Amino acid sequence: MLELSNLHARVTPEDGPAREILKGVSLNLPTGEVHAIMGPNGSGKSTLSYVLTGRPGYEVTSGTAKLDGDDLFALAPEERAAKGLFLSFQYPVEIPGVPVMTFVRTALNAQQKTRGQPEVSAPAFIKKSREVSARLKMSDDMLKRPLNVGFSGGEKKRLEIYQMMMLEPRVMILDETDSGLDIDALRIVAEGVNAMRGAGRSMLVITHYQRLLDYIKPDKVHVLAAGRIIKSGGPELALELEKSGYDGVIAGANA
Amino acid sequence: MSALALPNRRVEGWRWSDLSAALRGAEPPIAAGERHVIARLAEGAGKFSKFEIEAGGSRTEVERVGATGLDVQALDVDVRAGGTFTLVSIQSGGDVALAHHRVRLAAGASFRHFVLAEGARFARIEAEVEIVGAGARAEINGVYFAATGRHADLTSQVRLEGEGAQVRQLVRGVARKGGRGVFQGKFKVERTAQKTDAEMEHNAMLLEEGAEVFAKPELEIYADDVKCSHGNTAGQLDEAAVFYLRSRGIPEAEARAMITRAFLIEALPDWLDDVVRSEIEQRIDTWLGGAHA
Repeated sequence: MLELSNLHARVTPEDGPAREILKGVSLNLPTGEVHAIMGPNGSGKSTLSYVLTGRPGYEVTSGTAKLDGDDLFALAPEERAAKGLFLSFQYPVEIPGVPVMTFVRTALNAQQKTRGQPEVSAPAFIKKSREVSARLKMSDDMLKRPLNVGFSGGEKKRLEIYQMMMLEPRVMILDETDSGLDIDALRIVAEGVNAMRGAGRSMLVITHYQRLLDYIKPDKVHVLAAGRIIKSGGPELALELEKSGYDGVIAGANA
Repeated sequence: MSALALPNRRVEGWRWSDLSAALRGAEPPIAAGERHVIARLAEGAGKFSKFEIEAGGSRTEVERVGATGLDVQALDVDVRAGGTFTLVSIQSGGDVALAHHRVRLAAGASFRHFVLAEGARFARIEAEVEIVGAGARAEINGVYFAATGRHADLTSQVRLEGEGAQVRQLVRGVARKGGRGVFQGKFKVERTAQKTDAEMEHNAMLLEEGAEVFAKPELEIYADDVKCSHGNTAGQLDEAAVFYLRSRGIPEAEARAMITRAFLIEALPDWLDDVVRSEIEQRIDTWLGGAHA
């Protein structure tokens, strides 16, 4: 479903020269699978998520990314979304003045339009929103507030998953969705994520810690270090990381 | 009239809005006297009204400025004790659009003002509020947008003499390349106006390279027991927010319009009635839509 081949990318910060962050990432995420990407700070995890979703300032210098065989990099961010790509942000952005419901409905219908499909009716949207928000234990009040404004870290993450469940993407990237969540919130969010698993959908779960993977069981685990995937394996690799730390695994991979 | 009677950019208060240049060759009739220049032009054009609101009474006006050519209007209003004057000014179109509002507030009186300025070749909407009595309240909000070749100037002065007044001002504006927005706000708190509580806020967004916004917030305070603040910002659209919206499937132009709209809408006061509010929202949407077409 999602195929990355020898991906190189650099980031140009506003106040400095370009730096190469991804140095040849290759990864094959088949339909229906959940892969975890783990790695220490600065290894390129968030850069990978921004490169895939097309954030300005993140420049692909070589390599390819294909979604269902189509060149992802030929598409604008909104076109990638309409093709079913979704990023749950590590730091969701606050948008004052735009209520959550209005925003998600606008996004959903914009995607429908890009796909050449009819708009979702207001009653159908509201019905679905009720189901999803009940599942995530979110209050109606939260959905009427401006997007992310005044939300706690945990509420923001919950709202990301709400959006994901409303938009029903096919390839989901969860960027440190566990950060800022307490145990109860983590369980609720993970249940929401697990409800989205299944045939036709794939996920990339980016995390520092094994903890999230107790709730969202990956089919495969990849270790990203210094812009490259240095090791891949089954779920047991995450446990090994937890035991011997990134340094141990990185040293082992380099040996 | 003599051209000398009109202020040019060398006159403080008109440095970013050169009225003399804007009206060159037009020679509109202008009344004599010490009044504000826009009020005298309005009197010359026959669009000057003066009235009072009796004690405890209330009155609401929706004023439209911007008929073709030169459109100049002025109001002179006395609000007696406990009265309320609500004024919505919608400036749309016109070549030169000018309005001046002089409002005097007696004890416990209120003035609620909202201005939407869509800009013209030259547009200036100006308010002069005099708080004479104690415990009066003034709320002066506005939204302006300056498209390419447009000029929108919101100027106001609040002079406080009465004690314990509350003044709230929030103005938000956006400008595109070759458009000019102007905000001038002044609170003058006289020695007698103790316990004044006044807040002024102006936020502008420059939507494109080559857009201009000039702002002059001023506080002049002679009383020693007051709470006065002003805030003034000018910035650009938050690109992180634009990307966030796009990553959810909203096309770039629409994402930009959505964020700009939200920014402007926040300056709409909650006392606007539904009909006026929806007209204003529609005008904002039309402007944002058209500007992106």
